[in-house]
Amino acid sequence: MVKWVVWLPVVFLLVRSLATRWFWPAVWPGEWSGRAWGAVRGEPVWNSLTLALAVMVGAVLIALLLVASFRKNAWVRWAVMTMALLPPLAASVGLHGAFLQLGLTDSWWGVALVHLIPATPYAVMAVAGSLSRFDEDLVAQARTLGAGRWAIWRYVKGPALAPGLATGAVFAFVVSWSQYVSTALIGGGRVVTLPMALVGYQQSGDEAVAAALSLVFLGAPVMLSVWVERGWES
Amino acid sequence: MGRAWLGILILLAGCAKPREVSFAMWTGDEARNRYFEEVVTPEVRAKYGLTLRIVPYGHTGEVVSKLITEKAAGKTSGSSVDVVWINGENFRAAKRAGVLWGPIEMPRLYPDEAYGKDFGTPIEGMETPWQSAQFVMAWDTARFAEPPRTVDGLVAWVKAHPGRFTYPAPPEFSGSVFTRHFLLAKGFDGGLAALREMKPYLWKQGETYPATIAELDRLFANNEIDFAMSYGPSFASERIERGTFPPTVRTFVFDSGTIGNYNYLAVPFNASDREAALTLIRDLTSRERLLDMAQKLGHTFPQKGPDPGLKRGVATLPMELLRERFLPEPDADELVRFEKAWRERVLLAR
Repeated sequence: MVKWVVWLPVVFLLVRSLATRWFWPAVWPGEWSGRAWGAVRGEPVWNSLTLALAVMVGAVLIALLLVASFRKNAWVRWAVMTMALLPPLAASVGLHGAFLQLGLTDSWWGVALVHLIPATPYAVMAVAGSLSRFDEDLVAQARTLGAGRWAIWRYVKGPALAPGLATGAVFAFVVSWSQYVSTALIGGGRVVTLPMALVGYQQSGDEAVAAALSLVFLGAPVMLSVWVERGWES
Repeated sequence: MGRAWLGILILLAGCAKPREVSFAMWTGDEARNRYFEEVVTPEVRAKYGLTLRIVPYGHTGEVVSKLITEKAAGKTSGSSVDVVWINGENFRAAKRAGVLWGPIEMPRLYPDEAYGKDFGTPIEGMETPWQSAQFVMAWDTARFAEPPRTVDGLVAWVKAHPGRFTYPAPPEFSGSVFTRHFLLAKGFDGGLAALREMKPYLWKQGETYPATIAELDRLFANNEIDFAMSYGPSFASERIERGTFPPTVRTFVFDSGTIGNYNYLAVPFNASDREAALTLIRDLTSRERLLDMAQKLGHTFPQKGPDPGLKRGVATLPMELLRERFLPEPDADELVRFEKAWRERVLLAR
């Protein structure tokens, strides 16, 4: 029952994207049209997807590297967490100047880098969480059994950290997937992502197109979390 | 034979490095987006060998702030924007910050008022007129036959029908221009007094106002209020076509006139390719392009000369009527003062 309720907004969005001439007090649309779905272009979806995947991999790798240094230095932890707390507009405007000087604006790479800034802290939190629950004695035990560095990772530490890594990856993906201000500023309009396509239609009140794009927008994170959850169960 | 080879070589060279021109535009209108994708882009490529890139923005202000940051950082060339669609306060901000290149020399195809001031800011050739917009209101003929056509008539109508009228709260674009008709018809204090008088009879007793034009559209379509409004004369026809308004909706303007303005094209100071930018502007502001846009998108034809006799949307008023009733925007300073006063004397008034 509960699972079913979760899909209600999705059903509503689907109906809204296909409905036309739907006036109060009609409960059900009078006519249907595929117009809104014609407005879903490939380029923004592709850009959003490649960026989010790259940021996901990048954030998790950085998290693994940083988490190792946490134990020694609390300052690193604070510095990383601050990145998540920065107001996005202020941070992006400031970064825009810096990125301009480095020649990173108006490019896919620049946008990927700027997405890493809010995405990394989430990955770090997830990875740090699962690492703090990890019993280091297990590593010692594996070592006494003759396991090398690689084998320890492959059979002991890796599986133990996997849930944290997966959660971190999903967080990083979603954070990048939903960036708007930073993409618009650093991408200079050259790197068009789904949120950028969506915002215009939302503002002009073209609800059908906004609903269609919202469904696409919802699709990737939902599929990703379903996939991660499956991985859990198996 | 030699010529053919030369031709092929030039063609190959052309293919290897396509010349690009980027146009920053507001992309909230699906029909316009599609027109640019399916008509303008292939035509610009065929005619001038330019690859058109649309740089989409939710607000033009974002482009202006991007340019200002670029100027501060010393990026004086190679911008991702060659042409920007702009007007009003964004133009004022851009001109003041010196982030536009110009003056732009273009044939004067538009009425003189298009070249003077843009919301009170002297244009001085730093932007060139493109399309025009004019304020219209819409009502549903299925609900009542005739709307009030004067400011006083509207006030009387609102008082006779409590809860059936509202407008987006200024500084929202359309709500703001709506209140300026009161300013023009009744003066600064008189206009505010009339708006204040209407307030208790508005939707939700005037305690809250819609924040966006999309919200106003929704209230109107759902029969909660009886008037919609827009700065686009063909907005009701578009909404009917799109299926968000019933087909019985029509538009009207005040007998005393309705405020209009032009929107413009400008070239950023650090455009990558000024020549390409001018080529694109020449195409977009050509008579053929504007006629085509008027025909395919239902936009008003903004240039001088007689009405070219275009097919109008069902709810769109004739061009002569709109032109006859054209009122220019008041200066930006007065506009800002009026918006502030509205806030104190209408919005917050008890």
